[in-house]
Amino acid sequence: MAAADAGESGVDPEPPLKGALGLWAWDLVGETVRGDARFAALLGVPAEDALAGLPAQAFFARVHPDDRLRLTIAVAGVAQGAEVFARDFRIPGEDGVRWVSARGRAEHQPDRRPRAFTGVLTDISEQKRVEERLRIAQGAGGVGTFEFVEGFATVAVSDQFCRLLGLRVAASLPVHTINALVEPDQPPLIGGAAEETTIDAEVRIRRADTGEVRWLAVRGERRPAADAVGPTTLGAIYDITAAKVAEARLRELARTLEERVEARTQERDRLWNASRDLFGVVGRDGVYRSVNPAWRRLLGYDEADVVGRSFQDFVQPDDLAAAQRQWVGGGAGAALEDFDARMRAKDGAWRWVNWTVIPQGEAFYAVGRDVTERKQLEQQLRQSQKMEAVGQLTGGIAHDFNNMLTGVLGGLDMIQRRLSEGRIADAGRFITGAITSAERAAALTHRLLAFSRQQTLDPQSVDANALVGSMEDLLRRTLGERIDLAVELDPGLWRTAVDANQLESALLNLAINARDAMADGGKLTIETANVRLAEGAADGLEAGEYVQLSVSDTGSGMSPEVMARVFDPFFTTKPLGQGTGLGLSMVFGFARQSGGDVTIYSEVERGTTVRLYLPRHLGEDVQDLARPVAAAPPTGSGEAVLVVEDDPSVRPVVVELLRELGYEAIEVSSSEDALQVLRSPRRIDLMVSDVGLPGLNGRQLAERAREARPDLPVLFMTGYAAGAARRSEFLGPGMEMISKPFAMDALAQKIREMIGR
Amino acid sequence: MSGGAAYLSDLEVDALTELVNIGVSRAAASLRQMVGRQVFLSVPSVEVVSRSDAVTLMAEREIGDLVAVRQDFTGAFAGRALLIFPEANSLALVRAVTGDELSEPEMRDLEDEALAETGNVVLNNCLATMANMLQRPLDMSLPGVLRGASARLFQLEDAPASEGVVLFLYINFAISERDIRGYIAVLMDLPSLDALKTLIGEFIARVVGPSSAAGA
Repeated sequence: MAAADAGESGVDPEPPLKGALGLWAWDLVGETVRGDARFAALLGVPAEDALAGLPAQAFFARVHPDDRLRLTIAVAGVAQGAEVFARDFRIPGEDGVRWVSARGRAEHQPDRRPRAFTGVLTDISEQKRVEERLRIAQGAGGVGTFEFVEGFATVAVSDQFCRLLGLRVAASLPVHTINALVEPDQPPLIGGAAEETTIDAEVRIRRADTGEVRWLAVRGERRPAADAVGPTTLGAIYDITAAKVAEARLRELARTLEERVEARTQERDRLWNASRDLFGVVGRDGVYRSVNPAWRRLLGYDEADVVGRSFQDFVQPDDLAAAQRQWVGGGAGAALEDFDARMRAKDGAWRWVNWTVIPQGEAFYAVGRDVTERKQLEQQLRQSQKMEAVGQLTGGIAHDFNNMLTGVLGGLDMIQRRLSEGRIADAGRFITGAITSAERAAALTHRLLAFSRQQTLDPQSVDANALVGSMEDLLRRTLGERIDLAVELDPGLWRTAVDANQLESALLNLAINARDAMADGGKLTIETANVRLAEGAADGLEAGEYVQLSVSDTGSGMSPEVMARVFDPFFTTKPLGQGTGLGLSMVFGFARQSGGDVTIYSEVERGTTVRLYLPRHLGEDVQDLARPVAAAPPTGSGEAVLVVEDDPSVRPVVVELLRELGYEAIEVSSSEDALQVLRSPRRIDLMVSDVGLPGLNGRQLAERAREARPDLPVLFMTGYAAGAARRSEFLGPGMEMISKPFAMDALAQKIREMIGR
Repeated sequence: MSGGAAYLSDLEVDALTELVNIGVSRAAASLRQMVGRQVFLSVPSVEVVSRSDAVTLMAEREIGDLVAVRQDFTGAFAGRALLIFPEANSLALVRAVTGDELSEPEMRDLEDEALAETGNVVLNNCLATMANMLQRPLDMSLPGVLRGASARLFQLEDAPASEGVVLFLYINFAISERDIRGYIAVLMDLPSLDALKTLIGEFIARVVGPSSAAGA
C-alpha cells in the first residue's frame, strides 16, 4: 500500500498486489512524474532521471502507443477531479513487452483543483500471462472462478462463471444475484460455509437465462483476513450435471433392482399360474419336480399328486414308446417338439396333449397344450373325408354300373323279344353282349376289392413276357390307331409270383390311363426288365430281385400336385362319372399286396412312366399262363354236391348248373341245415359253400364237416373275403376257393377237378 | 467490459468511464461534506446496453423490488438519469446519510426525502460534471422517487422499449463502513447517444492534444 493511501479507509477494491512495487508521484501543475528506482526500472529510464522528475511527455513516450491514449485520458480524468486512477498498460522493453499496473488516488477538495496524485506501479506481466492462460483453461474446461471478500456485496467473477450461471458476462456480480439462482433447498453458492477453510460443495442451481436446472461443483479456499478487509474466498465452479444425472440414475437403478427382479419374478409366476398350458419341470430321473396349476384344471391333479412321481405314470404307454423313439432319434440334449401324447386324467379319461420338452441343465422343462379338441376335429375330418370319398366312389361306380347294367338288361330284353318272336338264331349276339357287360361289372367289383386290398389274390408263377404278349392284340385295339404300341421284352426275364388276372388288369389300367393322356396320339412303350435293388434303393421295397414292368407314354404328363395324389383312392383328373379314380390306386394296391411297389415319373407335356416292381419267383413253373380254351364243360356222373348258400338269387343258379352238369345237388340255405345233412348218412362227394354265412361261417362249417367226413372236399364261393386275403392261409387241405362272380364254366371246371381227385 | 462495444469504441468507453469517475468523485466529495463521514464511491464498469437488455440485466441481478431516484435532463444530450438501489438497501442508505440519529418511524417518514436528496447529489454531480467536462450546459429536473420492478423503471412514456439505450454504471457505495450497492442508469435515445459520442470524441482530442497531455 502506498504511503499516500495510509489515511484511507482501506476499502480499496483493488488492493496493491505483491511483487516489485514502484512508487510515483504525479505533479499535475508541473506536468512531471517523480518515481523511485523500481519505478525507473519498470519504465526503463535512468533512476536519477526518475528521481529528479520525468516530464509527463517522456513518461507517456515510454508507454506502448496503443495504451498511450487511454492512459492520457485517465490522467486527465484525475486532473479534472476523478479520485481513482487505475490503468493497466504495456511498456516495450529490450526483453519484450511488459504489462504494468498503475494504481493511484487523488484527494480532492471541493472547488479546488488537485495539484498532484500518487500511486504505485507493479509488474503484472506474469499475472497477465497466467490470467490469459487461466482464461483459456477456464473457457476450455468450463471452469468459472470467483473471488469473494467477506462483507462485500459483490463478487469478482470470471466470464465462465457468469456463463455457467446463465448470466450476462460481468466482472463482478452481487452475492445476492448469485445465490438467488440456487435452488431453495440448497446451501448458498457464495459465503455459505463461513467456518470452513476449504469449500467443497455441490449445489443445484436454476440457470438465469434458460431456467434449466444444473448441478455445479464449488471448490475453494478461504483465506484469513489480511489488512482491513475480511477473509477472502477464492474458488472455482464447474458443471457436474451429467455426472449427477448418471449418479442419480445409478442410485435409482440400484434401488429399483430388487423391485424389478421381484416384479419379473411375479410376472413369471403369473404366467406359470395363469397359463392354460401344462408346465412341468422334470428331473433327469424322470420325476416331476414341479407342475403348474393348469394340471388341476386340465387333468384334475393337484401339484402334490404329480410332484415326486415319474412322468411315465401319466402318459399312455403307446405314446410313451413313440416319444422314446423320437427322443432317441433326436440325440442327447435335443428338444422334443410338437409331440402328441395322451395323458391320463385323474378321473381316468385320456386327454391329448401336445408337448414340447427342452432339456436344460439337470432338468427337462415341459410345456403341454391340450389338443384333445383338435384331435377330435381331426377324427371328424378324416371321417368326413371318408364320406366324401364314398360320395365320389358312388358317383363313379354308379355310372360304370349303369352302363354295364344297360348292356345286361338291354341284351336280356332283346333276347326276350327274339325268343318271343321265335328268332332264336339272333339271340346269341345279344347273349354275348350281356355276358360281356356282366363280366365288366364283375371286373369292376374286383377292382374295388383290389383297392380295398380285400380281394383274394391267387399268386401264381407268371411269365410277364408271355402275359404282355398275350395282351398285345387287346392293347392295340384298346389304344386305337393314333397310338403306336412298342413292346420291348427282356428275353431272360425272371418269373414273378403274382395273380395273373390282377397283373393283366393292372397293365390294362395303365395302358388306358396312358391312352387318355395322349388325346392327340403318341407312343406307348411297354418294357420288361430284371432289376436288383439294393437296400434303400426304393422306398417301400426291400433289397432283392424284381421283375420290372414299365408303361411309358408321350402324353401330357402330370404336375407335381397331381403326382402327389395319383395313388389316392378315388382321385381322378377325369370328369365326374367318367372314371372311378380307382385305376392307379388299384395298381398300387395290387403291387403292394404282391410284395412289390409302383413308382411313377412324369413331366408335364413330356409324358409319364409307371414302373411296376414285382418280386422274382424262384419256384418251379406252376402253371402256364395260357389258359386252356374251354372245351365243353366237364360233366358229372351223379356225384352228390352239397350247396350251402344263403343268397336265394345265387343258390338256384349254382344248383341248376350242377344238375345240368349231371351232379346231384343238395341245396341248403344255412350252416345248421348243412350240418344236419352232413351228419346224415347221405352220400356227399363235395361241399360248395358260401364263406359269408350267418351263424357259422363257411370256414367254420368246413371244420365241423370234416369232423364227420374228414376227406370231404370243400369249395368256397366268396364275394368278399375279409379273412381270406391270401388263399393259402385260409384254405386247409382239400379246400379250394372260387370268387364271385364266376363264370359257370369256371365253376364246372373247379368242381370237376375236386371230385376227380 | 465489452457491453458498450456496439455503441462505443473501447477508447470511448475508457473516456466515458473516466468522465463518470470524475462525476462520482465529485458526488462522493459532496456527500462527505453533507454527511460528515467518509464516503467512497467507485465505478468498476460502464456499459451501454439497449433498453430491453437493461431490463434483463437488472432482473438478473436484482430479484426484489427496487427504489430509484429519477432526474430528467435536457441540453446537448437529453434523457433520464436513475440512481437505483435494491429496496432492501434504501433504509440502510437513509440511515447512513442521516447518521443513525433518527428513530425508525422518523426515518420512514424521511426516507423518500433523504433518498431524493442523496440521489440529487450523486446524479447532479455526475451529470453536471460530465456536462462541464464536455463543455455543454445541461438542465436537470427536480428529483423524484420511483419504486417497482426494473421494467417499470426503464419505461419511457414516449418511446417503446426497443428504442434507446441505457448507460449502465455499476457503483459501489461505501458509507460509514456500510457497503451499499447501487446503479446509475442513464436512459437516452439514440440521437442523444450520438451527441454524447461526439462530445466524448472532442474531450479525447482535447485531453490528448500535443500541448496538454495532463489536461488543462
